Amino acid sequence: MKGKMAGSSIANGRMAARAFTAIVGGYAAAAGFVSLLARIAPVDRAEATIWAMTLSFLVYAGLLLWAFHETRLARVAVAIWGLAFGTVGILWLLGPAL
Amino acid sequence: MSKVASNEAPGVRQSMAWIHGWLGLLAGWILFAMFLTGTASYFRPEITRWMQPEIDLHPVAPATAADTAVAHLQKVAPTAEQWFITLPDARTTATRIFIRERPNPDPNAKPAPRRAELRLDPATGEEVTARDTRGGEHFYRFHFQLQIPHPWGRWLAGLCAMAMLAAIISGVITHKRIFVDFFTLRWSKGQRSWLDAHNVSAVIALPFHAMITYTGLITLVAMYMPWPIEANYKDPATFETAVFGAEPDGEATGLPAALTPVAPLIARASEEWGGGRPATMVVRNPNDATATITLFQSAKDRLNARGGSIVFSGVDGRRLSASPPPGPAAETSGVMLGLHMGSFAGPVLRWTYFLLGLAGTAMVGTGLMLWTVKRKRPGAEPFFGIRLAERLNVGAIACLPAGMAAFLLANRLLPATLPARGDVEVSIMFWTWFGLAALACVRPIRRAWTETLAIAAVAFVALPLVNALTTDRGFVRSFANGDWLFVAFDLAMLATGALLGFGAWRAAQISSHPARKPRAAARPANPLREAVDAR
Repeated sequence: MKGKMAGSSIANGRMAARAFTAIVGGYAAAAGFVSLLARIAPVDRAEATIWAMTLSFLVYAGLLLWAFHETRLARVAVAIWGLAFGTVGILWLLGPAL
Repeated sequence: MSKVASNEAPGVRQSMAWIHGWLGLLAGWILFAMFLTGTASYFRPEITRWMQPEIDLHPVAPATAADTAVAHLQKVAPTAEQWFITLPDARTTATRIFIRERPNPDPNAKPAPRRAELRLDPATGEEVTARDTRGGEHFYRFHFQLQIPHPWGRWLAGLCAMAMLAAIISGVITHKRIFVDFFTLRWSKGQRSWLDAHNVSAVIALPFHAMITYTGLITLVAMYMPWPIEANYKDPATFETAVFGAEPDGEATGLPAALTPVAPLIARASEEWGGGRPATMVVRNPNDATATITLFQSAKDRLNARGGSIVFSGVDGRRLSASPPPGPAAETSGVMLGLHMGSFAGPVLRWTYFLLGLAGTAMVGTGLMLWTVKRKRPGAEPFFGIRLAERLNVGAIACLPAGMAAFLLANRLLPATLPARGDVEVSIMFWTWFGLAALACVRPIRRAWTETLAIAAVAFVALPLVNALTTDRGFVRSFANGDWLFVAFDLAMLATGALLGFGAWRAAQISSHPARKPRAAARPANPLREAVDAR
């Protein structure tokens, strides 16, 4: 991590991309992931919805930290944006349950 | 430690130390303000009562308060669309009522101005008037809205709370010697002391910090994370009905019908709740054939902050419906909410909450100090980022308490009839806070600490004095009358002043003995190692 702080404009751009992926992408991925779980979990709809909302911040925090821990930016971007678009895409196809 | 780090390619402890430092710094100043005002908010009703010393009411039974409130509303708004009645309890002594007028059927008519919430003496039902103030509500609102227009303040507070959560997780991973740190506090050792103080304040209350941060996010979860609702329900109202029960929504028929007495309903609800008290009563279409009365259970005597509700007919008192019993998830999130608000806590637990909140404030504050102290090089002119961070530290840690004291002083010193008095009090807090912070920017950094801390200390110590001079509830008389709220308030202000004064004295000592500083700062510059391993 420390090496990335060297201050060149490329390093700054990469850090900006990483921060954007972590904060915005991480939020979208966490939201999509827990929403999909809430949509397909074989329990009461209201209960599944509340569990998903309650646990979402833990998922987001995990993604946020991992995005800064993993050194390969490409891997971070593919995993997080992939999870975000993948889960939201499936949800869009499924539509609301009720 | 350095061996371990070189073996694991991107050491998880290293990356976590790095992210911990930056998250803590970027969100730290706002988090400090959120922690401090949130901690004060554990005494929200008490602060409000202190800020309206002319109100001195005595608690009555909920049924009596409900009866007097309904009698008052029958006089002033018998045909309103809804009455909201918040019943008093041991801490909030006034009944609060809010009237929603029936919308004018003429679509071209101007909508009636929103009526203000009124407060009543629960014993007589008479309106209580006092100086206009936001009271403890101001600190409470600022704590999660940051005085920024809706919804941006809440989003910013949420983002900072997420940073806090990630900082707690990464901080725990960073500190491998967490239990040793529990017992280690070395004074007067510069950077070492700030690190120890940060570790002690963080570790002692770690479960509290983790709990309060997570449950804080849960308080606004419906705003921050509504997507699971969207994924399951076409209409979010379906979800709300499933969880909280259906709200009665009958249109008024215009057929008059006398409103049923409310005291028996309160007794029946209390019985159904196993002795639980009602907190709020909503009367829809009063004095109409479709009238309903909904009672909401108080969170003051239970861990789950979301109590049940029961709907009664407003004509014959029949029980019409009730909220469904909560499932495990609803119960969990209700308990999380209750843990955050702490309304269930009695005096001892409430003070414990308060002290733990101060530990959290200290954790954020010492972390901010550590960030700047760690990056300073002896003899070298600190670069712009450090100088900025240093000034912002003064602005948050020393100037915010001064602003809070100014808010309370303004409450005593502004004329009671000043127009928009409550807003002026709030402005005075921010002018004092940011004004002092701006002043601190043009002073040498060590002096800035001493001066702003001393100003804050004097402002807090002045509060009991000003209170005694401007009200008839000064310390001596309060003590003689057994008015423990006012006694405790004065003592808390003196203690706060003493703490800030101690801070000012330490800052002055350090600036007059600069010889101490280099010893700590001259150690080999290895910031990564500092953060990764405390020794």
